[in-house]
Amino acid sequence: MALALIVPALAVVTLFFVAPLAMSVVVAFRGKGGGITLEHFAKAFDYYSTDLLFTLAIVVLSTLLIGGVAIAIAGYLTLGGNARAVAILRWLYRWPLFIPFVVAGQVMRTFLAKNGMLNHVLIGSGLIEPLSAQSLLDWRGIVIAFVWKQAPFVTLLLAGAMASLETQHIEAARNLGARRLRVLVDIVLPQVRGTLLVGLVLSFVTMLSVLSVPLMINPNSPTMVTVDVAYRINTHGDYPVANALCILSLALSAIGAAFYLRHASRASTAAT
Amino acid sequence: MRPFTLPAPVTAIFRASVLAVLAFIIFGPLLNLLLWAFAERWYFPSKLPLEFGLTYWYRVFQPRGNALASLGASVWIALLTVAFSLLVAIPAGYALARMKLPWRGAILLLFLLPQAVPNLPVYVNIAQVFYQIGLNGTILGVVLVHASHGLVLAVWIASAAFASIDVSLEEASRNLGASAWTCFRTVTLPLATPGLIASAIFVFLESLDEFTGTYFVGVPDVTTLPLLMFNATMGGNYQISSITALLLLIPSIGFMLVVERFLKADVLAMVGR
Amino acid sequence: MKLRQFFPLAFFAFAGVVAAQTTLNVVTAGDQNMVDYVNNYLAPKFEAMNPGVKVRAVGTGPGDGGSQKIYEKLSAQQKAGSAEWDVDVAVIHQLASATMVNEKLLMPYRNDISAGKLVSRDTAKNALGANVDGYVLPMFHSQIAFAYNPDLVKSPPKSFVELNEWVKKNPKQFGYNGVKGGMSGVGFVTGWVSAYSGLSEKLEKGPYDATSAAAIDRALLGLKDFNQYVVMTPGNAGTLDMLNRGEIAMGPVWVDMFYTWQADGRLNPKVKLSLPSPGLPGQPMYYVIPAKAAHAALAKKFIELAESPDVQADGIVKQFNWYPGIDPQFVQPKLDQAAWNKLFTDISPADLSKYGRPFPLSPYFKEIVEGYERVVLK
Repeated sequence: MALALIVPALAVVTLFFVAPLAMSVVVAFRGKGGGITLEHFAKAFDYYSTDLLFTLAIVVLSTLLIGGVAIAIAGYLTLGGNARAVAILRWLYRWPLFIPFVVAGQVMRTFLAKNGMLNHVLIGSGLIEPLSAQSLLDWRGIVIAFVWKQAPFVTLLLAGAMASLETQHIEAARNLGARRLRVLVDIVLPQVRGTLLVGLVLSFVTMLSVLSVPLMINPNSPTMVTVDVAYRINTHGDYPVANALCILSLALSAIGAAFYLRHASRASTAAT
Repeated sequence: MRPFTLPAPVTAIFRASVLAVLAFIIFGPLLNLLLWAFAERWYFPSKLPLEFGLTYWYRVFQPRGNALASLGASVWIALLTVAFSLLVAIPAGYALARMKLPWRGAILLLFLLPQAVPNLPVYVNIAQVFYQIGLNGTILGVVLVHASHGLVLAVWIASAAFASIDVSLEEASRNLGASAWTCFRTVTLPLATPGLIASAIFVFLESLDEFTGTYFVGVPDVTTLPLLMFNATMGGNYQISSITALLLLIPSIGFMLVVERFLKADVLAMVGR
Repeated sequence: MKLRQFFPLAFFAFAGVVAAQTTLNVVTAGDQNMVDYVNNYLAPKFEAMNPGVKVRAVGTGPGDGGSQKIYEKLSAQQKAGSAEWDVDVAVIHQLASATMVNEKLLMPYRNDISAGKLVSRDTAKNALGANVDGYVLPMFHSQIAFAYNPDLVKSPPKSFVELNEWVKKNPKQFGYNGVKGGMSGVGFVTGWVSAYSGLSEKLEKGPYDATSAAAIDRALLGLKDFNQYVVMTPGNAGTLDMLNRGEIAMGPVWVDMFYTWQADGRLNPKVKLSLPSPGLPGQPMYYVIPAKAAHAALAKKFIELAESPDVQADGIVKQFNWYPGIDPQFVQPKLDQAAWNKLFTDISPADLSKYGRPFPLSPYFKEIVEGYERVVLK
């Protein structure tokens, strides 16, 4: 009975997700005669090794920054002293959450340009010299766009998890004179580690698949692998190499998945 | 010994400036969007548009313009995606939350996949398959692609919503003689509704904003608003792309202001468990 | 008339109206300005001339990628054996037209319409070395040129060699969009290879010779060095955008996009154009009719309208700033002197004929584009 309820969902996921994924593997390894070949991977590495490293670096950096920002904001929301500041922060931080990646790419393109709003404000407030204004429309722009868009999501998850913690531990620690930073690091964070990991892994994997942001901010090399995949398909119709690149980015995401699975299995063994 | 604290005015100023910087980081780019949406002439070296106007709004909304058609297509696709996802996700979520499932671990892994794995290879190959069976460039094709991703989100949230309902309430209803279906219909479903609505909202928004899959599967016949916006940006039509971006943001921001009623912290905390 | 008799009549009348409504599907590659041209200019004219017909314009994106999408659409329908295809008129780049003629995806139509006699340029028969005679008509001819800000660039470089020296003295003041962001960057790269490989004649006229690969790679290595001193822009529009913001002082742009941006207030009116020696490419885009188009007769009428001297003068040249697709002598009498001269303000007809080149032959073209990724981007 239970199986019957779940079969439609399983069918959709299998047909429209697992099957194309399997196809991807097949096409990436299939040679001209039908045998198995590594030539597509060789070409992918030959042309795009820089981009692969670049992708990994960007996504890892973004994930770390997202983690930092999310912990800071969620921590303040839970432990913050000034009620008005907490209320303002709670209202403020979630705005980018509902802005799609494609719009985030577009707004960042004009915001981060050499003569964009960011530089105008920095120059206007005297923080930098006009001549030293830089265009951030390269890997930094991609990282900024990713963190801007994803940090609120992880913050939302974290804040929710922190809010459902028992307050006795926090209060006990505060009563003993612990500073809030200490409470955050020693008491709150360990308990919400699971949620933090889920949020970060989800973000890591999502960012690996984003096409719109790198396409709009920095489509020229070095760029993210997603742009190269789109280029291979749209301009050359080169599905084998495009799929090889996809498999390689799958391998990159396996790093993130490994983290999650390790945690999930540890949690379930702890629960049993 | 009391820990060292800064004098109150200093912390207040510090707090205010951090919030101000954060506000600039969050709203600055959006303000830029607004400026471009109402600009008519804007070129270097002026910091603000030279002329403001609504000409581009007329261009966007003109009968031959694609914007209204794209908006319609986007909303229609999103609604269909939500309907399909919920139809499939509610039973699946209930089964995951309440029932004993054989191969539970494997099933959980399968549902984890679309979130744990980059979707690019999937979209690329689905497009190829759809070409051959004639689903490429159709609304149905795009809905299927959106649903296969949104479904997973819906299943996770639905199962979390069902799991957070107190089992004793259902047991009480069964003890009073209700059948499984009646119990589900009158007890479980209403209690889970806020969480389900939240999942519906997320799926709707994800579909509305979806770009990469539609880029491969929908082009060129199905144009959703994100695709229109992207094309306008790449074509340098910043006024048009900013206006379409604003259109895209209206449902998103609207839901944001509403969703808080439906997303309780404990439901969120259960996502991913 | 009784109510009961009314309904079936009303139904048939309605069905008749609906049935009379035909949709002509026009699918065009290229930037948004291509879609705008069909939607805002051609479609209203055509619909006024043919009541009951609605024109539906769809864009597939800039560069050869956009044409590739159209090719894939038609090819899929051919493989599936569909009786009628869902594209009636397509506007594509030269490279794709050669492939499509080869695979019998197009129907010959040039001799069926009177406008076919108005084109005598080589580009109507030859697409990067492939024979497409009869299957295509040029919609317009476009040209890539260097746009530069005269305040920042007092005397623009007159050749690629001069440009190479100029960027070393003025780093990060020149920008172009690589090979992935649109054809203006691709054109710059082929222009560079033409200048530095010493093979410009051969690249354009052939024959294709695999031994040229070494010279091409050498030229590309020079480009790799050049890239250190320049900025990469995000696309055709990206170059214009950065010029507009003063972030670069010079870059290759499509002449028509350049004029359109100035007219739209998105580019400073004082920015000018120039052509370097030995030249920068231009290309036509072609009107084609798929072999099994559902409305072939209507499609021919549509192209007839689009290639008529009036439309070419008013639409192509005056409003959208392209060089005409049909021979200039048919278009010039329809324009006033000022409008005609606007096309040649910065680039004289003499310069255009000397420095306006076609793209290299398709095997060389592919080699250069792939070589860019292999040599320059690593």
